Amino acid sequence: MKIAVCIKRVPDSETRVKIAPDGKSIDEAGVKFILNPYDEFAVEEALRRKEKAGAGEVVVIALGPAAAQETIRTALAMGADRGVLLQADRIPADGLQAATALAAELKAGGYDLILFGKMAIDDYNHQVGPMVAELLDLPCVTTVAHLEIENGKGTAEREIEGGVEVVEFPLPAVLTTDKGLNEPRYPALKGIMAAKKKPLDTKPTTLAAGGLDVLALMPPPERQAGKIVGEGAAAVAELVRLLREEAKVL
Amino acid sequence: MSSERFVPAQYQPPLPLDRLILKNGAAGAGDRMDLDVLIVGAGPAGLACAIELAQLAKRDNSDLNIGVLEKAEALGEHSLSGAVVNPRAFRELFPDVPAAELPFRGPVTHERVCLLTSRATIPLPTPPTMRNAGNYIASLCEVVRWLGARAEALGVNLFTGFPGASLIVDGQRVAGVRTAATGLDRDGQPLANYMAPNDLVAGVTVLAEGTRGTLSQAWIQWQNVGAANPQIYALGVKEIWETKRPLDTIVHTLGWPLPTDAFGGSFMYPLEPNLVALGLVVGLDYRDAGLDVHALLQRMKQHPLFRQYLEGGEMVEWGAKTIPEGGYYSVPARRSGEGVVILGDSAGLVDVPSLKGIHYAMQSGMFAARSIFQALKANDPSAERLADYDRLVNESFIMKDLYRTRNMRLVFKDGFYVGGLKAALMTATGGRTPGRMIKMESDAEVSRRVTPGLRPGSVTPDGKLTFSKVEGVFKAGNATRDTIPVHLTVGKDVPADVAEFYAHMCPAGVYEVVQGTLRINAPNCVDCKATDVLGPRWTPREGGSGPKYKRM
Amino acid sequence: MSRVLAVLEQRDGALRKVSHEVVTGARRLADAFGNSTVDALVMAAGAARGADAVGGFGADKVITLTNAAFGSYAPEGYARAIVDRVKAGGYDAVVFAASATGKDLAPRVAAQLGRPLAQEVTDVAVEGGAVIAIRPVYAGKALLKIKIAGSPAVLSLRPNVFTPVQRPKAGAAETASVDGSAGRVVVKQIKAAPAGTLDVAEAPIVVSGGRGLKEPANFKVLEELAAAFGGRAAVGASRAVVDAGWRPHADQVGQTGKTVSPTLYVAVGVSGAIQHLAGMRTSKVIVAINKDKDAPIFKVADYGIVGDLFEVVPKLTEEIKKLHG
Repeated sequence: MKIAVCIKRVPDSETRVKIAPDGKSIDEAGVKFILNPYDEFAVEEALRRKEKAGAGEVVVIALGPAAAQETIRTALAMGADRGVLLQADRIPADGLQAATALAAELKAGGYDLILFGKMAIDDYNHQVGPMVAELLDLPCVTTVAHLEIENGKGTAEREIEGGVEVVEFPLPAVLTTDKGLNEPRYPALKGIMAAKKKPLDTKPTTLAAGGLDVLALMPPPERQAGKIVGEGAAAVAELVRLLREEAKVL
Repeated sequence: MSSERFVPAQYQPPLPLDRLILKNGAAGAGDRMDLDVLIVGAGPAGLACAIELAQLAKRDNSDLNIGVLEKAEALGEHSLSGAVVNPRAFRELFPDVPAAELPFRGPVTHERVCLLTSRATIPLPTPPTMRNAGNYIASLCEVVRWLGARAEALGVNLFTGFPGASLIVDGQRVAGVRTAATGLDRDGQPLANYMAPNDLVAGVTVLAEGTRGTLSQAWIQWQNVGAANPQIYALGVKEIWETKRPLDTIVHTLGWPLPTDAFGGSFMYPLEPNLVALGLVVGLDYRDAGLDVHALLQRMKQHPLFRQYLEGGEMVEWGAKTIPEGGYYSVPARRSGEGVVILGDSAGLVDVPSLKGIHYAMQSGMFAARSIFQALKANDPSAERLADYDRLVNESFIMKDLYRTRNMRLVFKDGFYVGGLKAALMTATGGRTPGRMIKMESDAEVSRRVTPGLRPGSVTPDGKLTFSKVEGVFKAGNATRDTIPVHLTVGKDVPADVAEFYAHMCPAGVYEVVQGTLRINAPNCVDCKATDVLGPRWTPREGGSGPKYKRM
Repeated sequence: MSRVLAVLEQRDGALRKVSHEVVTGARRLADAFGNSTVDALVMAAGAARGADAVGGFGADKVITLTNAAFGSYAPEGYARAIVDRVKAGGYDAVVFAASATGKDLAPRVAAQLGRPLAQEVTDVAVEGGAVIAIRPVYAGKALLKIKIAGSPAVLSLRPNVFTPVQRPKAGAAETASVDGSAGRVVVKQIKAAPAGTLDVAEAPIVVSGGRGLKEPANFKVLEELAAAFGGRAAVGASRAVVDAGWRPHADQVGQTGKTVSPTLYVAVGVSGAIQHLAGMRTSKVIVAINKDKDAPIFKVADYGIVGDLFEVVPKLTEEIKKLHG
């Protein structure tokens, strides 16, 4: 089975967000970068599918700066066979730009499956996977939490509000992975050693013009001081009103 | 008011040598890997050793397979120090790197030493042992990441997230290390992502575990390596603050808020004018069972000297670590043996009066590398060959420095004022008076005094200047999973008094007394090792557990 | 004049409530453009119940596109139908809900149109004729302000943000049948979510209980409250009650600083004295219910009720049930 996994280098989820002097991005000083956690499910799924099929190849592809090589090596240490870095100055905020670059690389690959994490934990864009599918005219299912594949057809389960959607699709296909799909393996010691020797192609990439401009990265609104709404059951109606109208969480 | 007393050692279990020392080929391992040199610990000592080894091999046109095990998930995440660094080891290891490219924040330009009372700051002349001209303020995390990048560039294999859990031995020879397993639940049962321990076998194993290293202790005990004095420790609790007011001097203080029967002091260093590292260091031989270093630090921050900088600022990191304080007389008689050497803090190479250890750690790593390289070339990693490492250290500035200050910390066992007088005398006479070795007990043997009742000067955390232990653990970046097996071995029948003592001792809130019994919040642990010194023994746990320091 | 298209959602032939938010957001965008119309679009097998009410939220026209295969969500069929409509209608903006379906559908439509997508937007404006969108990033630790150049702007709106606003104006209705199949990706069925699988660390709403509940059986009170939120809430527990064996480890709200970050965190009978605070502090909204007015949890909470939880919580459950109808 030939599987491609598109991965992203992202700041660790515990990163304290400090806004860079340009006012549009985070200050990267001291920030720890990791493989996007949702992509780990994708890499793990690819490895399992290949292992199940008994033969094949898992290729990981990342769009990003040179430092993303380290992220690719993490996936190689998990067991992927080779990596491709589409090297660009920065990862674009515009998902379509990213999708265009990735689709160009994936097009001639002859992949049975192309996997993405459902979203990146930095930009929460939740779009590159299905966009790539459109550009390649491939069927796509997003946020897959359960997957079965047999004889060139797949059945996926994805979480929707109040239920689970069961979806069928033919291969080749693009899937984006959600938590619960599998339990990603830790890279083994031997895997870490082997990763250094696996092929990693770096291809300088120019991004196509985008239609989206980042104007600013801003801190969230200050948290207001808390208030005691009232006492006892009598205060509940007011609490619910505040949660609906003021806090907007209901 | 009558006070109870107890001796912590009475409630401490011994090191579980049967688990820490395994025969080569013992069942239980998954993968097995062969290396030329295995280094346990990617701190300054371990990495300097790796770099020097790789450089020696390169110059010799030979190939050395070097592996470094690091229990933290990423380089630097378990590294913590003040720090003011003496650059000499850097200059020797990296002669071609210009000073501006070394991983330091800036040179020390101003220096203050003060005696604190609850309200006042009394300047003191800077003792000669503390003069820091020519030294640099640094973040040990940044130093380690910088060294790590260089090590990797030289082909060293860095395995982060892999703690060394046991020594593997062939007869009396250390053959390598077994790593800890990952993915066990609270009852020790494998989870879906379970990974078995790995055996790494090497010609020479380098133990560079830092303070109170478990494998180092195990080896020393197993081989009956003696020292004139047992090793003693201090606990440092440290915070990093983004401040509104800039700081342009390094500051060390003595006195308040420490009681007179405790040894220690504080430090405050500017990493940047508005990024300040500060901490309180207290010897673990303190007498009052209720002493709580974290709580004292919180109280200390309310003093005008610190408050003026911290007010309106934000605490961005918190952490804790012990420091070996025994100095010259506590360094083991030999730090090498069949197939093994011990570096840095694990070997007690720290000079307390000058608060220096990083350059000794690195230098010891470099000496070890040279000895190991020769031993491997001769295909003879025997104790005789590796003893060359001991010789290099003994004849170097490392032991000269430690000898000069050999009693300086030790005199303080008599209390602050007597100790201070003796220390001053020592400085004036270059260490000759008092000259004879002062016998010390291990910290756990020091009797503790229980004084019931609320402690005077306790601080209720306000969440702005002062913080709870839980808040601290949060700021240490600790996200250890709650279902992890408990890695601490407690003694039998710990009475409520001793449990209270543990609760105060641990800066991370691992120990709590609930209805008279000891409750253990193991995931809180930030690997400072204070518990291993005074209470329940610390054992290695799943890789990546513990803190994630960024700039400590 | 600008034209905004709002893409609605139906399930089992009835419009989902989130559709009101989409229309409200589309209306806000249309008003920002000035002199603009809002068309609402729904794909269904036949007439969609509730479509006629949509005008009351600001839609000038509701268009139902029917196709036998459109009863369930048909990603490729829906996307093609929308794209055809957008191209034919010359819309300046296309607005989706950032629901599970919307987040799946919007990227397909955007890519087919060759347009960027602003996903999960919390605020919209128009400056110099271009759409400006604000969206949370880095787990809500920051907000990104973006400008979308060109037309149409494609956006999806975060649920629970564009509170539906009723306007006294009915909209016109139009129905058209659409040819074509559902596409290659076929939704076979919707299963009920297995009970109790919501992970405390991932649930949008967490209702957490502490020792104040007095005994394990009393957690039922919290389970009922969680159920009232319609499958979006998980029941958490303080470490104290987990250690006491009342609740399983998996329910424990982290004490070592694991960031549990639900939109709504309701701490019931949790004093907040020690372990609980660090892990849940980054929740968007924290509500505390405790009988001790000095409990530390009130310092961290956005809203608090001082009272007997055995009286307050059932009342809260009742009110939430009313809301979700």
